[in-house]
Amino acid sequence: MESCLLEARDISVAFPGVRALDHVDFRLSAGEIHALAGANGAGKSTLMKVLAGTNPGYRGEVRLDGRTVELRTPAAAQLAGIHLVCQEVDQALAPALSAAENMLLDDLGKPGGLWVNWRSVYRQAEELKQRLHMDFDVRAPVSRLTLAQKQMVLIARALRSRCRILLLDEPTAPLSAAETETLFALCRDLVRERRLAIVFISHRLPEILEICGSCTVLRNGKLAANIAITPRTTADELVTHMLGTAAADVHRRRSVPAGGALLSARGLSSRDGSVRDVSLTVGPGEIVGLAGLVGAGKSELCKALFGILPRAAGEILLEGRPVNPRSPAEGAALGMGLVPEERRKEGLFPGESVAFHLGIASLKKWSRLSLLSRRKLDANARTQIRRLGIRAPSPEQRMELLSGGNQQKAVLGKWLSAGCRLYLLDEPMKGVDVGAKAELLEVIAALAEAGCGVLYASAEPGELLRAADRIYVLYGGTVAAELAAAHTSEEEIMYYAVGGTGPFPPAREREREAQP
Amino acid sequence: MKQIRIRPKNAGFWTDWAAVIALAAAAAVFALLRGGSFFSAANAVNILRSMSITTIFAVGATLTMAPDGFDMSACSLATVSSFLFASLFLWFGLPLWLSAVLTVALTMGLYLLTMFLILVCRIPDMLATCALMFVYQGLGLWWTGGGAVSAGMPTPWGTAPVRGSWTEASLAIGAAPWCILIMLACVAFAFVFLRYTRHGRCLYAMGSNQTAAAYSGIAVKKYRFLAGMLTAVMIAVGAIVVCSRNSAAQISGCDSYLMPSLAAVFVGRSVGGAEKPNALGTLVGAALVAVLENGLTQMGVVYYVLPAVKGGVLALALVAAYGPRRWAGHMTKR
Repeated sequence: MESCLLEARDISVAFPGVRALDHVDFRLSAGEIHALAGANGAGKSTLMKVLAGTNPGYRGEVRLDGRTVELRTPAAAQLAGIHLVCQEVDQALAPALSAAENMLLDDLGKPGGLWVNWRSVYRQAEELKQRLHMDFDVRAPVSRLTLAQKQMVLIARALRSRCRILLLDEPTAPLSAAETETLFALCRDLVRERRLAIVFISHRLPEILEICGSCTVLRNGKLAANIAITPRTTADELVTHMLGTAAADVHRRRSVPAGGALLSARGLSSRDGSVRDVSLTVGPGEIVGLAGLVGAGKSELCKALFGILPRAAGEILLEGRPVNPRSPAEGAALGMGLVPEERRKEGLFPGESVAFHLGIASLKKWSRLSLLSRRKLDANARTQIRRLGIRAPSPEQRMELLSGGNQQKAVLGKWLSAGCRLYLLDEPMKGVDVGAKAELLEVIAALAEAGCGVLYASAEPGELLRAADRIYVLYGGTVAAELAAAHTSEEEIMYYAVGGTGPFPPAREREREAQP
Repeated sequence: MKQIRIRPKNAGFWTDWAAVIALAAAAAVFALLRGGSFFSAANAVNILRSMSITTIFAVGATLTMAPDGFDMSACSLATVSSFLFASLFLWFGLPLWLSAVLTVALTMGLYLLTMFLILVCRIPDMLATCALMFVYQGLGLWWTGGGAVSAGMPTPWGTAPVRGSWTEASLAIGAAPWCILIMLACVAFAFVFLRYTRHGRCLYAMGSNQTAAAYSGIAVKKYRFLAGMLTAVMIAVGAIVVCSRNSAAQISGCDSYLMPSLAAVFVGRSVGGAEKPNALGTLVGAALVAVLENGLTQMGVVYYVLPAVKGGVLALALVAAYGPRRWAGHMTKR
């Protein structure tokens, strides 16, 4: 058994109205990759922030090598050798400076000589680059690097100073499969050669099982489990700990009512070329999946339909009537509702209440002669909160204090209040925890039952198989395949999403299967 | 769900009401030191009269800043409006009401230029209005032939003005009861409009997150235009009051109101925990400036030190309103 490097005991953190961490214990040994799992709002990021010193209001004790340390400022945490690579890497980087300067940013900020020795800066950066097997120009401004490379720059910065514990907050979320592999290889190297302890947060359980040696599971701010990961550990086991109950199996088994198309698009192309010649239909009461990799044009297609992205060609028919939304306001007036992918940037009003969010898309309904009726707004908010199962102490609760899943429910709720006919959901499960996912899925299914049309875009085929009746696979902005959800598989969706042509399974595999 | 407060119960109270407390404290100090000469009905009217113009312009700025807009050129445009009002009334001898209505309409017309640069050319508000500040200055002087417009002066084309002097009614606009009533009407309108109508809510949604507002189906350009037009009305009203009080439309006559009016909006932002430009807060902010000016003058503070003292107290009010919030923000952000 490894000696205990870091031990956090009885950590509690409270925010107004929410107890984010409730007497949590956390142990970390040198030379291990330790997973931190839990649904959204379980307190993972909060615990990370405590360790990184950005949450000075915590109660409890943190011991490093058996000695108590006070992690009340980021500087104190870094002095103790704890470095955080946060989820949004851009927050921690100076975009106009070069990669080399960003790597050495901690040094450049220190009091010292007046002059910058550029030769030494670039030499040190090159050395770091070699050590991390990175491949890019350290003199290029960091804003030109890819997300994966930016992450590497941050890891390099952490390693520059005496780093003993590396906290990675959802590092793989924006990465491709190949980039994830590179990151994992680096993590294994660091743990083996430098005896680092790495804390790894991810929503993707297979990744945790692949790379981590042990796992701490949080649930509602409390410690749910502390388990060692063996080759026999399964994702189901982790999910059980995360939810407290076994994951409910929510497969859709229902027939789609026949009828004319609610939405039909013909030969749709966007002016910027990200959507090219797309034709699709959504029937009333139908959930239509939109599959494809990141960048395949799913978001762009949703935005083109809603009137955000200018269209160059093609026509849109709603209930058989040609329409031409040229702005989101016109799209909304036609009875469409978009749940955008980037919730924080495109969906939330910081500082405003849940009731504000739920009413904002249908203010006409809640006002007379332009005067708002507070009573009607409040009644609407209460109805939607109950209908969607939003966990908020009151309709007046400020939105940013809710967890990602509850925020997403409210963003969907604003269109429910408006009573849309067609819902465009762009990655609705992004940043939503497992429990809330199931509830959202039920709401979406109920919308379809009520006769609304749903276009559901997601990069995860498994999600679409559970939710959708029919699936269009996008590749490079065009429809590569149209599949019935009941008669397809994740493999088939992925095959078309990565650019496969011709029938599935591909000819080569069929031959191999035929050969004994 | 468990409800826990981490901030001491009154921390929010102090930041939310910092401007009001500063106002009350300043009034109390002056009342103690100067007694009846400060704390009297006559002086209250004095203060209200002196703050009325700043407040009207500040209400205009509030309406523009609610949807996260900004207007640097407001008071330069007001100078143009005052030229228009004076020339319509004196040179062309139009009746008072018609001069006022035409001034409002023409100011709205001129404001289309601002809206054109912001909404059609998509120049950021700050830059567009910065350039327009000079454009409006030039336009105004071109209209008057390079001078002020006052009673008894010939028109730029050499004829005698139709009306030789200001009438009693036209001078009453800028004097005690009327200018105060006009100010209160402007504040009341902005208060109801921003707080109790769906249009106001849309403007605040835009101020909170422009993209999210647009994606919620709010016609953001229309609403920015609406906010601009209402601001133009406030600018024209303010200009008419200035013109009446000075009994002339002076060169750069309104320009000096820009900074005090913006200060009033900023001080008022946090009043009552609103965290956004709001009408009542703006009124409090303008009142704070006026009370300080009035009290300090009575205290015998010489006029050339006055701006420094005034600015210092304003800065303190801002520190109280914004400083602690930043600290607390550290805790509440997740």
